[in-house]
Amino acid sequence: MNQPILSVKDLTYVYMKSTPLEHQALLGVNMEITEGEIVAIIGHTGCGKSTLIQHFNGIHFPQTGHVMINGMDLTKPKLDVKSLRRQVGLVFQNPEDQLFEKLVGDDIAYGPFKMKLPLEEVRERVKWAMEMVGLPFDEMKDRATFALSGGQKRKVALAGVLALRPKILVLDEPTAGLDPKSRRELLEKIKKLNQEEGITVIFVSHNMEEVAYLADRIYVMAGGKEVCHGTPEEIFTNPEIILQHRIGTPETVRTLHRLHEEGYAVNTGRFRVEDASTEIRKLLPE
Amino acid sequence: MSSPFELTRNITIGQYLVRNSIIHKLDPRFKLASFAILLVGIAICDSYIGNLIGLFLSIYLFHLASIPVSYGVSGLKPAIPFMIIIGLMQLFLYKEMSPDNVIYWQLGFLEVSSASIKIVIISVLRFMQIIFLSSILTLSTSTTEITRGLERLLSPLQKVKFPVHAFSLIITIAIRFVPTFAMEMEKMMKAQASRGAEFGTGAWWQIIKRTTEMFPLIIPLFNVALARGEDLILAMEARCYTPGSSRTVYTQYKANGNDYVALLVSVGIVFVLVFIPYPW
Amino acid sequence: MVERGLTVRKIVIAGVLGAIAILLGVTRIGYIPVPTPAGNATIMHIPVIIGAIMEGWGVGMIIGLIFGVSSFLNATVVLFKDPLVAILPRLLIGVFAYITYVGLKNFNQYVAIGMAGFVGSLSNTILVMTMAVVQNYLVPGAAIAVVLTQGIPEAIVSVIVTLAVVTTWKKLGPSGKQKSKIS
Repeated sequence: MNQPILSVKDLTYVYMKSTPLEHQALLGVNMEITEGEIVAIIGHTGCGKSTLIQHFNGIHFPQTGHVMINGMDLTKPKLDVKSLRRQVGLVFQNPEDQLFEKLVGDDIAYGPFKMKLPLEEVRERVKWAMEMVGLPFDEMKDRATFALSGGQKRKVALAGVLALRPKILVLDEPTAGLDPKSRRELLEKIKKLNQEEGITVIFVSHNMEEVAYLADRIYVMAGGKEVCHGTPEEIFTNPEIILQHRIGTPETVRTLHRLHEEGYAVNTGRFRVEDASTEIRKLLPE
Repeated sequence: MSSPFELTRNITIGQYLVRNSIIHKLDPRFKLASFAILLVGIAICDSYIGNLIGLFLSIYLFHLASIPVSYGVSGLKPAIPFMIIIGLMQLFLYKEMSPDNVIYWQLGFLEVSSASIKIVIISVLRFMQIIFLSSILTLSTSTTEITRGLERLLSPLQKVKFPVHAFSLIITIAIRFVPTFAMEMEKMMKAQASRGAEFGTGAWWQIIKRTTEMFPLIIPLFNVALARGEDLILAMEARCYTPGSSRTVYTQYKANGNDYVALLVSVGIVFVLVFIPYPW
Repeated sequence: MVERGLTVRKIVIAGVLGAIAILLGVTRIGYIPVPTPAGNATIMHIPVIIGAIMEGWGVGMIIGLIFGVSSFLNATVVLFKDPLVAILPRLLIGVFAYITYVGLKNFNQYVAIGMAGFVGSLSNTILVMTMAVVQNYLVPGAAIAVVLTQGIPEAIVSVIVTLAVVTTWKKLGPSGKQKSKIS
C-alpha cells in the first residue's frame, strides 16, 4: 500500500477545554487515507465527524495525537496553515450561505486572488473550476449570485473551493437539502473530479445511497471514535456492524438481504444500483 | 490550546450571577423602576455629601445582593485611564462664571479653580455610583427578567397606542436568534478561512480596503439573518399571528412587600440626595 | 386585517436585525480595525440603519433600543454604563437614517442608501457625544474631536457596509452592466 496522503493517529479534541462547558468531541480517532481514494465518513449526529474533518485544513489543531497531511505535521507549531489550506479544500454544510460577492466569477475568484496569483492564472482557475462543476464559464461568470437557484449556488460555492486547486477535497454533507436532480449532478461531478483530476475525496454523509454510489471505503464513527472501516461491500454486508451501530443501508442492500433470507441466490455485496438490478434480473424467468 | 474559531460557544449576554439574595428576588418591574429613580437622583445630586451618601449606599447594595464588591470594582478598572484623562481635561478646561469661584492657577486658556476641582471630584463619585448601580442591576437580573420587566413597565403605554406586545415579541425574537446567528457566524468564519480569507491586511489608513475585507463575513451574516427572517414571517403568517390582538401571558409577576419597600426606599434616597441642602 | 402599526414583517425584521446588533457587540466581530482613537470602527449600529431603510423609522427605533440596551448591558467603557448615554441616543439613529433615505430615494437609490448609512452613523456619534457632554463625562472640545476622528471614519465604513448589504438584499444588482474582475 502507498504512503497515505492523510493519516490521523489517536486524535482527541475537547471543546471549551477546562471550563464548565467542556465537551469531549473526539476520543482517539485513527484513520489512513490513500491518494486518489474516495472515503465516506458516516455516523450519527454528534459523533464527531464535523470536528474531525475540520482538523484536515487547520480549523482545529490536534490537542493530543497526530494529523499528517501530504507530509505536513499539524502538531508542528511552525505549520504553514495557508499552504495546508491550499492543499485541502473544505466544503462546509450549506456552502451556498458563504457566497458574498455580487458576481459569480468574483466569488469563485476570491480564494485565488487571496493567494496573490496573477490575473491570467486566476482566470484560468476560475474557468476550470466552473467547468468542473458544470457551470459554463462565459455564460455564468457575470451573473448575479443572488439570482441563482439553490443548486446553482452550491455549485458556485464548490467551484470557489476547487479554484484553490486542492489535492484533497473534504465535503460535509455535500448534497443535503438539494433536489434529486441537483443531487445526482453534484455526485457525478464529484466522481468526475476524483477520476479525471485524481483529487482525493473525503465526505461526510447521512445518505447511504450516496455513500454506496461514491465511496471506495467507509469509516464508521460513533461517540467520538472510529469504530470500524472497510469497503462498502464489507460494511453493508455485515449485519452485525449494521445492527450494532444502527447504520442505515441503501434500499438495494435491504432488498438483496431480504431476497437472500428468503432463499434466493443473490450476492448481497452487489448493491450498486446497476449490479443489484443484474442480480435481480438473474432471478427472473427469461 | 483552544481554536480561534470557538468564539461563539461562550456568548453570554449580560453578566447575570445566580444568588439567592433579597435583591435577586425583587420583582424585575420594581427593580428596574427603582434603578431608574436612583439614576435620576444621582444625575441631579451635585453636593459632596450627597454623592458620598450615594456611594456608600450603592456599596451597601452589593452586600444586600450577596455579590462581592470586587465585581463592581473590576467594572471600574478598565475605566481608570479614561477617568484620569477626562478628569484632567475637566480640571484645566472647565470654566464657571460665578462670584464665589476662586481661581488657583491660570496659564493661557488653562485654569484650575474651586469650581473645576469640585466638578472633577463630583464626576468621579458619580461615575462610581453609576457603575456600581448598573453592575448590581445586571449581575442580579437575568436578561429574560429585564426584558419581561421592561415589557410590563411599558404596558401602560398601550393606552397611547404604543405596541407593547409586538415590542416584547421583537426582543424575544432577537434574543432567540443570537445563538443561531452566532453558529452561522462561526461556520462562516471557518468556511472563509478555508478559502484563504485574511482580515486586516490592508495598510492601516486604507479604511475602504479594511472594510471590504470584512465582507466575506458581514454580507453572508446579514443575508442568512434576513433569509431566516423571511422564513419566520411565512411561518407566523401561516399560523395566523395577528399583531396587536390581545394575548395571555405565561409568567405572571406579583409584587410583594419587599418590592414596595424597595421602591419607597429608592424614592427616599433620591429625596435625601437631592432635596437636602448640604453645606458642601 | 387591521394592522396596528407593526406588521408581522416589521416585527420579524426588527427581531433578526436586533439579534445581529447584539451578536456584533458580544463577539467583537462588530469592530473593523481602522485608524481612529478607539483603534477600530464599530459596525454595531449598522443593523439599525438597515432596518430603518428597509422597514421605516419605527423599526429603526426598536433596533436602536435593542442595540442601546445591549451596549449598556455589555459595557466595558465607563461612558456606556450610563443608560442615558448608551440607550437614549441610539433611538434616533434609525429616524435620521430613514429621513435621509426617504428624502433621497427618488433621486437615486444608491445615493439614498449610502447617505442614510452616512447620516445614521454620524448621528450615532454626535448624539452619544452630546449626551456625554450633557452628563459631564466630556468637555465640548473633546467631544468634537471624537466626532471628527472617530465619527467620520465610522460613517465611511457605514456607507460601504450599508450599501453592500442593502443592495444585495433588495436585489438591486450591480450598478450598470458590471463585469466580474476576471473578465
